[in-house]
Amino acid sequence: MMPSDESAAALQVADSKAAAPAMPQTVKVEKTIGLPAIGFCVTQGEAATTLFVGMSDFAVHRIDMAAEKIEAIPIGQERHNSYVTGLVRAGDKLVSGGYDGALIWWNMASGEVIRRVESAHSKWVRMLAVSPDASRVASVADDMTTRLWDASCGDLIATWNDYEIKTPHGFPSMLYAVTISRDGRWLATGDKTGIVLVRDLATGQIAARLETPIMYTWDPKARRHSIGGIRALAFSNDSAMLAVGGMGKVGNIDHLEGSSRVEVFRWQDNVRLYEIEDNKLKGLVEALHFGPGDAWLAAGGGDNSGFVTIYRMDDGKLAAQEKVGSHVHDFVFGTSPDTVYAISHNQAAIIKLT
Amino acid sequence: MASNISGLGPQENGLSRRRFLSAAAAGVTAGSVADMTAIHGLRSEAMASELKKQNKRVILLWLAGGASQFETWDPKPGAKTGGPFRAIPTNVTGIHISELLPELAQRMQHTAIIRSLNTKIADHGTGADLMECGRVPDPGVKYPDIGAVVARELGRLESKVPDYVSLYTSTEGRRKGTSGFLGARYSPMFLSESMTPANVVRPDIISEIDHHDRAALRDVLAKRFTTARRNQAVNSHMSAYQRVHGLMASADLFDIEREPESVRNRYGSSQFAQQCLIARRLVEADVPFVKVARAWWDSHGQNFETHQELCADLDHSMSVLLDDLAERGLLEHTLVITLGEFGRTPNINASLGRDHFASAWSCSLSGAGIRGGVAYGKTDDEGHRVVEGEASAGDLFATILAALGIDHQHEYMLGSRPIPLADFGTNPIREVLA
Amino acid sequence: MRVDLMHLLQRFALIVVGCLAFTGVRAQELLPPETEVASAVDHYITEKLQSRSIEPGPAADDATVLRRTMLDLAGRVPTAREHQWFFDQPETVRRDVLVDRLMQSSDFDFHLRNSLDELLLANRPHDGEFREYLLWAVRQKRPWDQMFRDMLAARQADGVEKGAAQFVSSRVRNLDDLTNDTAMLFFGVNVSCAKCHDHPLVEAWKQDHFYGMQAFFQRTFITRKNVIAEKPFGEVKFKTTKGEEKSATLMFLNGSVAEDKTPSFADDERKQLEQQIQKLERDEKAGYVISASFSPRRELSELAIRDDKERFLAKNIVNRTWLRLMGLGLVDPPDQLHEANPASHPQLLDWLTRDFVASGYDLRRLIRGITLSQAYARSSEWAVDETPPAASTYAFASTKSLTPRQMAASLLVVIRSPDNWPALEDSVAWNKLRNDLENQAAGWSREFEQPGENFQIAVDEALFFSNNDRITNDLLRDGGDRIVGKLKSIEENSQAVEQLWVTVLNRKPSDQELQTATAWMQRENTDRVESLRSLTWALLAGPELRFNH
Repeated sequence: MMPSDESAAALQVADSKAAAPAMPQTVKVEKTIGLPAIGFCVTQGEAATTLFVGMSDFAVHRIDMAAEKIEAIPIGQERHNSYVTGLVRAGDKLVSGGYDGALIWWNMASGEVIRRVESAHSKWVRMLAVSPDASRVASVADDMTTRLWDASCGDLIATWNDYEIKTPHGFPSMLYAVTISRDGRWLATGDKTGIVLVRDLATGQIAARLETPIMYTWDPKARRHSIGGIRALAFSNDSAMLAVGGMGKVGNIDHLEGSSRVEVFRWQDNVRLYEIEDNKLKGLVEALHFGPGDAWLAAGGGDNSGFVTIYRMDDGKLAAQEKVGSHVHDFVFGTSPDTVYAISHNQAAIIKLT
Repeated sequence: MASNISGLGPQENGLSRRRFLSAAAAGVTAGSVADMTAIHGLRSEAMASELKKQNKRVILLWLAGGASQFETWDPKPGAKTGGPFRAIPTNVTGIHISELLPELAQRMQHTAIIRSLNTKIADHGTGADLMECGRVPDPGVKYPDIGAVVARELGRLESKVPDYVSLYTSTEGRRKGTSGFLGARYSPMFLSESMTPANVVRPDIISEIDHHDRAALRDVLAKRFTTARRNQAVNSHMSAYQRVHGLMASADLFDIEREPESVRNRYGSSQFAQQCLIARRLVEADVPFVKVARAWWDSHGQNFETHQELCADLDHSMSVLLDDLAERGLLEHTLVITLGEFGRTPNINASLGRDHFASAWSCSLSGAGIRGGVAYGKTDDEGHRVVEGEASAGDLFATILAALGIDHQHEYMLGSRPIPLADFGTNPIREVLA
Repeated sequence: MRVDLMHLLQRFALIVVGCLAFTGVRAQELLPPETEVASAVDHYITEKLQSRSIEPGPAADDATVLRRTMLDLAGRVPTAREHQWFFDQPETVRRDVLVDRLMQSSDFDFHLRNSLDELLLANRPHDGEFREYLLWAVRQKRPWDQMFRDMLAARQADGVEKGAAQFVSSRVRNLDDLTNDTAMLFFGVNVSCAKCHDHPLVEAWKQDHFYGMQAFFQRTFITRKNVIAEKPFGEVKFKTTKGEEKSATLMFLNGSVAEDKTPSFADDERKQLEQQIQKLERDEKAGYVISASFSPRRELSELAIRDDKERFLAKNIVNRTWLRLMGLGLVDPPDQLHEANPASHPQLLDWLTRDFVASGYDLRRLIRGITLSQAYARSSEWAVDETPPAASTYAFASTKSLTPRQMAASLLVVIRSPDNWPALEDSVAWNKLRNDLENQAAGWSREFEQPGENFQIAVDEALFFSNNDRITNDLLRDGGDRIVGKLKSIEENSQAVEQLWVTVLNRKPSDQELQTATAWMQRENTDRVESLRSLTWALLAGPELRFNH
């Protein structure tokens, strides 16, 4: 689902003569389509306008955003046994992961299942990432492990177990986010409590550890549970920066009412470049992507309403933002980064950046 | 040199402390004695243990804010409304509960689930009033809640331990509970700021002897005034003071450091688990009713994340509690209830939350008087409505009373107005009773 | 639904008897209006006692009367100086002089303010503004009907008057509460049962009455800036038990209907107004004002004051004042002022109500009259071996639980060294001290519960007295300003005991008590100060201080 694998699409972007805004000034929702269920994760097929979306009806859907009549159609016959929360493309295959702990390899064109690894994780899979050469798929789950899979044969290559199973307050923790850098060298993961680990993908060694504790709100007094966590990670195109998305401190943890929060690090030096708290459009940041040349960073997320927000990467300030109608779970760039396809609760949106 | 103190009997020169205490006590009822075992000393050992066996107790695990029935007792995996969690089989064939309660799933032989509550009120305050009192509030009558009723029906008049203890240590939705028209005698001992009751520890500067002596003096001096008046409030003043030392002695019940480390470790470090341990200690000492509130389940956003945490807490704490009670031979005399003010909506909102829902939701009853391994009532495929065995708050109230051996139709007289314990027209759910 | 014939028959019988009694009253003439209030009280009380051949109990002794009168008028027990002053007055005029003196005092103002506060806003959190308004109104002897108007109008006034709005503003978010509470607290009518169906017991209270009352409040709302406002339109619709939908008329409890002068609005005008109202409710910055040419709430206050049929407004406060002073209302319970629940002394209630209205709704006159009656000053004891007559005969005085404020103030009075009071003539010092006392009492009053029906004292209070540090460290310390300090300085035990009794209980100890107390002081191996301290504690924690008897 994190499109750092979009080497194909990204290269297209770099070469494209389409208008890619150097710095978007406006975000505008052009069109919305209802979805039959909640969309959690999105990736793209051969064409940037072909979206594959993992949904709450346990299916992976195909949506042709360029069609006359845009609709979400489940691929193949097979289904997960729960919400599909992770989805990546590896060459001509799709790999999906879900709350059932399973990973499924699909023939992207036909929708046939190539392989199903039933107990890929012992708990709920939260996100997948794919290496730019499509050789590796990484998965994270609430069993607090990160696993690396051979994208072709499905073998488990490595299991990393460096996160605490429980939060500092004694409750079962969650491992929400994973991403791989465009140059294929680095893997980053982020958990509920605000710990980011960056690993050398080749050796598996931990290269950096960053902390974003504000993204974890524990309420000891009123409600005695927590909310938040690191929900989105993205490397910059040049791999030097790592953006981390979540939510700022929350008063009433029954709702997503905290400021949306993004922290951007020059991770190799463990330097935090920006700490962005945005309380105009509040809620969780669920997805992040850097724009071309890393001049800007796009964030999607929200509370009950959703947003897409653009932040400048020269000064960390807000460039543009817009409400999207419902909470954005994931987004990808279209043919060029002036188009964003946002997947949210029961809706897909085509958004233009200008 | 002291002359005869009339009413207290003759004594020699001077009056030693002890003699004053015992002499004074002779002039009053025996209520000032501090020793907790005194009440058992009044009967023979065998009779005491027999009575103890018959005494029923209640632990109410109050899931404040409204826990989701989808993520606990009535999962609908695969339904549009079912959420991501699956159902797991339990150790009772045919009953499945949410995968978020794996330990409880192995202890279903003690438990009856009621899946068919339709209580209609989806507002925190009024919903809680309704579920705690078994009927809709009436401006003309202050109904007592289940704790006060049980305290009245099962408690002992001169009990040295509190009859009704209520722990609510989070601030959200905090409620004390009410004894309504049963009066302050059945008000809960309410712990909110701390897990130790307030004002139960003797101040350092007063010795224990002095503390007792002056209480005895107070009683002696108060006697004439109290007897001359036959006034309920005046009498309650006297009995309040007579209960002081008993309650002070029961302060130790709240101190879990007195439990062996192995027991404490078994429960674990969560505050809710510790309070469950306190509840076990209290019922073991014959406290008839303990409410432990676990706030705050009101997951309007991030329902699945919230329930991951809270269900883990409930699952572990309640499982250890059931085991602990069973091992001590207490489970057959203790009714353990999980209940909140309502359930949660089948619809999942855009913050991945569920909202208030009182039309089709669940609760559980375990232990005393309950037929375990039963799932009573059914909701439709998506959990929108009850399709079988619809039960009201009053029916649940009647069921709880019946499990305890209390006649739910017995009436209190409020002036000349009869008030049945359970609301008119309500019935215990026989299928969950042993 | 269970139907219990016996109960229905009982209810029917009660209604019949009630109606007969009611019609019976109308037939007889009331005592003339020139009668002194106190005399009227005693006349009717005695009349009933005689008709039942009941001998009233003896009068309470003077010390008891002093204490009781001070608690009821000043909200606290007397100091030793006041005790001395009282007994210095000639016996025959003692009570009159006392009452008149008290009614001029700042104590009276504070206590009446507290009593009204407890009646009107008891369990609702509110800041000081309402209490400030009440104190101001009491001080300037504002008539009750004016105060009623102030509170119902809930005007956005300048100065202290704006506090009156809190009666409405603390309830405005719940229309049922606002309706019920107004009916109960101002008119003595709990008509809430009539919400769902005609009142099962009271012929006179139908759904129309409940919704008629509600209609007066339905347009009231609160802006984001916490100002009470009224919409220019709006109505209450309800479903009868037969299922038909009705619109409620603006009907007061006595059946009078207000003329509805609501102007008509065009659809788009109405829509615009609705938007404006919504904005006012939500937007902090909305600065405009919605003016309604017709105010149902104002109509209600006019109707209530004009009501000379039932006179609910006057009758209720008369009854509630009687309840507060005598321990049991002439109508009991006090929120059931209706035909099926007749007063114990219907003519007395009528006479007092008539007098109250004629006096211009003067609370002080009423209070003075009741507290100067014989009935008020009876002993609260009854022979132990005899069954006492019903409390509603007032053959003996009731024992009343102190309110939290009375208890707190009294506690703070009795723990002071009796020497530590300014001279009675030094009104400047007294007023300052009384003011301080009022503020301190606020804190302590939180440890006590407001008494209500079937009041019981919770064990929490006993635990508080037994174990809380504030009792020992504050009240019982032996500094020179404190009672224990004073007792310390009295060498002779029996004298110290007597001083303690007089200070805390406003009376001398009995022989038995003296013996018990001196024996206590003489126990072996005890520190004298500690003995004095614990003896004082025993009285502070005792029932005699705790109750008004």
